[in-house]
Order: sequence, then structure tokens, then C-alpha cells
Amino acid sequence: MSWLDYPFFRRALVAALLLAPLLGALSHLVVARRLAFLSTALGQAALTGLTIGLALGETHDESGSPYGGMVGFCLLCALAMVWVKRRAALPTDTLIGVFVAFTLGLGICLLVAVTQRFNVHQIEALMFGSLITVTDGDLWLLAALDVGVGLLLARVYNELLLDSVAPPLARAAGVKSARLDYLFVVLLTAAIVLSLKIVGALLVEALVVIPAAAGRNVARSLRSQLLWSIGVALAATVGGLSLSMRFLVPSGGAVVLVLAGLFALTFGISCAARGRGHREDALR
Amino acid sequence: MSRSVAGLPPRVEFSQVTVRAGSGPPLLQDFSLSVAAGTLHALVGRNGAGKTTLLRALLGEVEFTGSIRIDRQRGGSIGYVPQRLEFDRTLALTVGEFLAATRQRRPVCLGVSAAARARVAAVLASVGLADAGQRPIAALSGGELRRVLLAHALEPRPELLLLDEATEGLDRAALARFEELVKTARAAGTTILLVSHDAALVARLADAVTSLDGEGPAP
Repeated sequence: MSWLDYPFFRRALVAALLLAPLLGALSHLVVARRLAFLSTALGQAALTGLTIGLALGETHDESGSPYGGMVGFCLLCALAMVWVKRRAALPTDTLIGVFVAFTLGLGICLLVAVTQRFNVHQIEALMFGSLITVTDGDLWLLAALDVGVGLLLARVYNELLLDSVAPPLARAAGVKSARLDYLFVVLLTAAIVLSLKIVGALLVEALVVIPAAAGRNVARSLRSQLLWSIGVALAATVGGLSLSMRFLVPSGGAVVLVLAGLFALTFGISCAARGRGHREDALR
Repeated sequence: MSRSVAGLPPRVEFSQVTVRAGSGPPLLQDFSLSVAAGTLHALVGRNGAGKTTLLRALLGEVEFTGSIRIDRQRGGSIGYVPQRLEFDRTLALTVGEFLAATRQRRPVCLGVSAAARARVAAVLASVGLADAGQRPIAALSGGELRRVLLAHALEPRPELLLLDEATEGLDRAALARFEELVKTARAAGTTILLVSHDAALVARLADAVTSLDGEGPAP
């Protein structure tokens, strides 16, 4: 019997194929805008959002997904982080660290309260990713998100790029930096929340950051970086699902292991391609 | 100290502009200036006098009190060559892709269009970097990057051009080309604010000079 004979694996595979181009495309902008740590914060906020959703009566089983709590809380956190970042004089990573601590603290408190009423495995699946929790509804949501994010990104991509690379030039060109900041975190939040069933809240950052990092190791232009990012995300999600089936391990962990392997491979290629000079200090 | 052009309508007007950074003394205090349309106005003064701060306030990069009025036509743009451009040098971005980002609607990660490629080639040729389109922007020298930024700022012709120490690091040929391009832009109606410590350059190019600390540019 082939894995493809299992409906849950087919659904997970389609989800992976839908996720890879979405996260691959967002990935190189996340790295360019230095928002890697933000994606970690959003993953943890999703966990807190899940517990809020469950506490408020949402279900997390084959009949439904608690997207209300996750999307709502993640969006709130993402928008609050951008709002504070644009007003505070502190470095961005310090501010995000404050939010990470807050969401994690709140999440842990709520988790204890919620697990007294719900099966802890429901939460575990969201923490580490689980193939069997992907529903047909998730696939439709992912397909819609692919189209929506793709269209919006295409519309604002050049402005986002200029604002990421050279903010003063973007402002001189009339780019509305604040609007882009908010729009981008909204798109990122939506993509992260819908990735959780495959990758899990604790590991979602890897799928948002490593494809672009691996792409940077070998790309020589923006176009090649985009293609590398999407290719790495695709190979990691499909490869990770296969590993998960083969060794019966959580899909999130398996996807991240493949990602790490691909990063190491591209890093090796970049090292091999670089010329090595020789310097000698002749001390007398 | 100010030498100005009388009789021309203002394009930029700074009125009682004060910029503070934290609780220290203001970077700029109660600064007022009227820059006439179609002229090159030089801002001079010692390090820390507030020249760059003034340009950054004009761009909305720093908070200020007072008012800054820019008289712009619909669709008129601002060109800017910053004193320093700090960017992520690991980003795989070619000079052509960077310049195409503001010259085509299609996302540049999907490729540079033929029309944008032609425009990029023309602007690069104008600053003597005709073959730089495919080079990674991170591989440019300081002087080359300045020339790319100048090319970026000058096309399409801006209504207002802000040049902050834009000649730093340029070799003799590039400096001559810079002066020609700036003169051409002014002749075409662009209003230019030039920050410089180069007294000879200011003397050759400026229609008006304002010193932010009461001193002139270094000889």
C-alpha cells in the first residue's frame, strides 16, 4: 500500500505543495526586513491564541480548527509589535523579545487552565505539527491564501523591497512605509497560522527563515533567490512529510531536519565556490 | 549666514524647525529657510551642525517641531542621495534589479522587463557605469554605489533633489560627470539642496548658500 492511498497523507501533501511557494516567497522578504525573530514570536503567539480559542469554546479535531483564537491573537500581537516598533527607540529584537516573553507567559498560564478541560494531545499537534489534523477546509483556506497573498505581494513587492533595502530612498520615493509594515505582518501572520498544522508552532519560524537563508548561500540575483527559497521550502515540506511517515515522527521536526540539511548543503556549495587566498605573517 | 536668490518663488520652506534627539541639546533649533524653485541651494557648516538632520526632517525620517512646506506638482518626485546607505550586504540583489524596482510595476523578483532594462542601462551609462547592471549591489565600491544612487535619484527627473555629501569618494572623472548631471537637472527645473564640505564645489555650483553654524564651507 502506498502512502498516497491514505487520505490524510494526500491532504498533507497538497497542503505542503500549497505552503511551499507561499512561505518561500514570503521567506526572502522576512529575511530582508529582518523579521526572523518576529516569526518566532508569532508561532508562540499562535499557541497562546489556540488556548484562548479552546477556552472560548472552539474545537480542535477533525470537525474543525481553532483558527479564530489563533488568527485573532496573532494579528493582535503582530499589529501591536509593529505599532510599538515604529514608536519606540529600542532595537526591534529587544521589543520582540518583550512580546515573546509576554505571549509565552500568558500561553503557559492558559495552557494549564485549558488542559484541565481538554486533551493535551490536541495542543501537542499544534506545537509540533501533525499530518492527520489537516482537513479539506484547511486546503481550501490555504489555496485562497496562496492566491490572496500572491496578488497582494505582486502589487506591493517592489515597494517592500525598496523599503527593506533602503528605507530613506523609499521614503523619498513616497513609499508609505508604515502601511507596508502593517500589511506585511498581516500576510505573514495568515501564512504562519495556516502552516501550523504541518510544521507546528514551535518550529514554524524555520520554514519562514531557512528557505531564504539557504537561498542566500547560493543565489546571485533576487530572482534566483526567490526560486531557491521556493525550491528549498518545497523540498523540505515534501521531504519532511515523507520522513514523518517513514519514521513516525512529528511532521514539524522532520520538515525542520530536511531544512537544516538543505541549509548545510547550500552553505557547503557557497564555501566551495568562494576562492581562498593565503596570508602569511612573516615575523622576525 | 545666508546668501540667497531673490525674486524666485520658494519650492521648499523651512519655518522655525527644531529637531531634538532625547533630552540632549537640540540637533537643530528654530531654523528657517526659503529655497527658491529651480535653484541649487547649498547647506554648509561644521560636523554636527544639523545639515543631514534637516534633510532627514524634510523626508519625514526624524520628528521635528515647526513646519516644512514643499511646493510640489502632482506626480512630482523627490530624488535623494544619502550621506550613507547601510544595507544588508548579503542580499542577492543586482544593480539592475535595484534600479528596476522603481521603474517597473512587475515584481523585480520575477525579472526585469525589457522597458525597465533599457531605462536602467541609460541611467547607468549617464553615471559611467554602463556595465554594472548585472553586478551585485553589495560588490560596488563606495564611489560606485554613490554613482548608482545618483543615477537612481536623477531619473525620472525629480522636482526636488537632495544631495547629502554626494561627492564623497568620487574620482576626478566621476566628479566632473556629477557636476554636469547636477547642472543639467537644475537647467531642466529641478530644485536642489546640496550638503557639502567642499568649498570649491559649492562655489562652482551653488546659486545660494546657507551656513547652519554661521561659518562657511571649509576652503
